[in-house]
Amino acid sequence: MKIQILEKNDISMRLLIEGTNAPLMNTLRRIILSEVPTMAVDDVVILENSSALQDEFLAHRIGLVPLKTDLDTYNLPENCECKSEFGCNLCRVSLVLDVEAEDHTIVVRSSDFKSENPTVIPVSNEISLVKLAPEQKIRLEAYARLGKGKDHARWQSVSMCTYKYKPIISVNTELCNSCGECVEACSRNIITKTGKKIEIRNLENCTLCQDCVKACQETPKAVKSSWDETSFIFAIESTGALTSERILREALNILDGKLVEFLKQLPVKKT
Amino acid sequence: MKVRVLNMTKNELKIEIEGEGHTFCNVIQKALIKDKRVEIAGYDIPHPLTSSPLIYIRTKGQSKPTKVLDDATKAVHKDSKTFRAAFSKALKEWNKKRQS
Repeated sequence: MKIQILEKNDISMRLLIEGTNAPLMNTLRRIILSEVPTMAVDDVVILENSSALQDEFLAHRIGLVPLKTDLDTYNLPENCECKSEFGCNLCRVSLVLDVEAEDHTIVVRSSDFKSENPTVIPVSNEISLVKLAPEQKIRLEAYARLGKGKDHARWQSVSMCTYKYKPIISVNTELCNSCGECVEACSRNIITKTGKKIEIRNLENCTLCQDCVKACQETPKAVKSSWDETSFIFAIESTGALTSERILREALNILDGKLVEFLKQLPVKKT
Repeated sequence: MKVRVLNMTKNELKIEIEGEGHTFCNVIQKALIKDKRVEIAGYDIPHPLTSSPLIYIRTKGQSKPTKVLDDATKAVHKDSKTFRAAFSKALKEWNKKRQS
């Protein structure tokens, strides 16, 4: 197996993975989407709310704010030693929101949250929660916990995680008359024409739409579009709660954990 | 995860895995059917709201189904280890490229 990083930053990552199989890629994708834990508010105690939004509506909006997650310090509530319904310092973070619009209309934003732990804060300061008219007030305490995407979308660690086969596009120079129809048809600008030669570049952007093959006037077709079933382009786009690298590592850890647990429970000795 | 054996004979094994789904079963089943000793391997999720899939294996000849399942799981584990190593290597290369 060979991996090449095509692009990477804290939020997103694209990998070219060669010499693997689709089931493994799919398992990783499914784990990333539904089982990598992140922090999100799941309990809101509203002390005062005179805004135009109902309490439930406001609580729902707060729940969907992605929070920077510290996976090493916090435990999942079901695995925490405290066994408490309310949680303890190791499985819960409290965020306080106390805003009042005095004489102007204001927008309450995620930056108004005061967190108990300065590392667990909203990923962006610009997420608007509600507008307050003069003299309206909001006072509430929100409790964030670790959770998994399969329980609710607010705990999803990624906004996007996909994989596709590595495309293969080839132009048969003997059949091609350099008419340039395929260059016109390609919406991703992968096929280009330099002089009389048809060239292919930035192949990883190809969506395998087959437009180039349809556009080719020759019979048999001079352009061939196919894919490599052992190579994949795997893309992760994090919500910002965890880095893209950490998400992939966590997914691998979770898969390994499942496999080890399964091996342990297999009825091998009974036969 | 909780594994329950529903049926076990010389060549057949049917187990139920409580608390898992397509994520785990699909990768195991695909690893099983790659094995030449396996005649049939499949999985089924009897109801979409309960996460208790069934895995069924029938092997050829003298091969024990539990052994085959054990090997398939180990093969997936090996794949994930190779992935991890390859990813670490790719990261190193990426960081090196970034610095230069």
